[in-house]
Amino acid sequence: MELGGKPLLEAVDICRSYQLNGSVHQVLEGIRFTVRQGELTCVTGRSGCGKTTLLKILAGLTSPSSGRVLLEGSPVSGPGPDRCVVFQEYALFPWLTVEENIAFGLKIRRVEKASAKEAVERYLALMGLSRFKDYLPREISGGMKQRVALARVLILNPKILLMDEPFGALDAQTREDMQSLLLELWEELHHTILFVTHDANEALLLADRILIMGINPGRIVKEIRVDLPRPRAKEEREFLLMGQKLRAALRS
Amino acid sequence: MLSWILPAACLCAWFLVCHSGMVPGYLLPSPVEVGNACYLYIFGIPGDAPYSGRFWDDAAASLVRVGLGFAVAVVAGLPLGIASGRLPVVQRFLGLSINALRAVPGISWMPLAVVWFGIGLKTTVFLVGLAAFFPIFLNAAAGVQQVDPLLLQAGAMMGCGRFRSLFTILLPSAMPHLLTGLRLGLGISWAYLVLGELSGVPNGLGALIMDARMTGRIEIILVGIILIAIMGRLSDTVLKSFMKFCFKSARRML
Repeated sequence: MELGGKPLLEAVDICRSYQLNGSVHQVLEGIRFTVRQGELTCVTGRSGCGKTTLLKILAGLTSPSSGRVLLEGSPVSGPGPDRCVVFQEYALFPWLTVEENIAFGLKIRRVEKASAKEAVERYLALMGLSRFKDYLPREISGGMKQRVALARVLILNPKILLMDEPFGALDAQTREDMQSLLLELWEELHHTILFVTHDANEALLLADRILIMGINPGRIVKEIRVDLPRPRAKEEREFLLMGQKLRAALRS
Repeated sequence: MLSWILPAACLCAWFLVCHSGMVPGYLLPSPVEVGNACYLYIFGIPGDAPYSGRFWDDAAASLVRVGLGFAVAVVAGLPLGIASGRLPVVQRFLGLSINALRAVPGISWMPLAVVWFGIGLKTTVFLVGLAAFFPIFLNAAAGVQQVDPLLLQAGAMMGCGRFRSLFTILLPSAMPHLLTGLRLGLGISWAYLVLGELSGVPNGLGALIMDARMTGRIEIILVGIILIAIMGRLSDTVLKSFMKFCFKSARRML
């Protein structure tokens, strides 16, 4: 597949360090990459390599010690609905129903009521949540919570979707369902996605391109293009071969 | 149902103790006697007997004092508590003073309050407001402090600014704590109401108790205690229902 989209999100020499007991600890060093329009990029690496910190910097929730994040060429300062995050811990508002959680961002934008309601209903249907719209987050399963979390940001039509190990807390079966749902949505809505995961198979299953991060300090050590046609089957020879390659890169 | 077993058992025990003659009537009047006194106090014709029909007047006076004192505590305690829970500057500025003041037993303010405000409404409102302030303040501060930062980040990325997130995320999320503070504050308001009314005001449920002690009417003291218990309990229910009526978060997170 040709990745001909124009550059959307650029990480320019991002470093992040913090002081611990007087010594400086380098979490991220010289991170530099570009995400193109419509691309599904996975960032993977062992735990502790700073994947989540990198994602929070891209989202504007944390600021880098040096370096810049550019969105369509202009620097990013602070969080905003053009770069929405799906958190591993869902982060749904427990006092709002499924429907109200999905409508939250539209309400903040003061979208007119009728059109907001229409949009919410569309996304409820898209996620298969229509029957559960009046449930509270504590009353639904993890997979459903993550679908709500996905719906509440997709409805805002972000330029890029940042996903932080979104399916990490789900059981194997639900995770597979969510992965196919994400791919379906991606093919339908043509979003740009940056997906952080520590699971090599998940990265192979989803990504156009995988960025592998090394540890101490966190940096990008390798970039792998995945040209396999979708839907990808984990049993196929090429998938298995790429998996070996990826895991070898992760180990080194 | 279960919650009525204990009061019913106490009532039975009270009957038995009085009936057996273990305790003389001038120390512990029988439930029947107290019931009669209570009926007369509430429904009697004013002027018929010393305490006849005084309830409505006393209850109204006490409710106004509790209500005003509690309102003062809410108006001061909620915003200050929220500010102190979220802003380290405010926390450092207020923390020491408030904790020092909190260590002072409310009763020791009474002589000063009487000198400052005289006997009556103002003194009671001062004592009630001061006492109810602390639980409201402390719980509000703890509540907003413990809000999951992830929820605020989620709000921020959906375009919710700092000021709006105060009302859309922070307060709903802290609602269980806020309500606990308010309920504790209201409970303590009733306690300090009686203290304030002991200072010698002419009406109110606390004054009734004090008055009955002077005249040796033990059954009236008991009537006062029981009525305060009932009104305190009712006011708690009203507060809870009010909060649930007004706020989604109170309805759904308790």
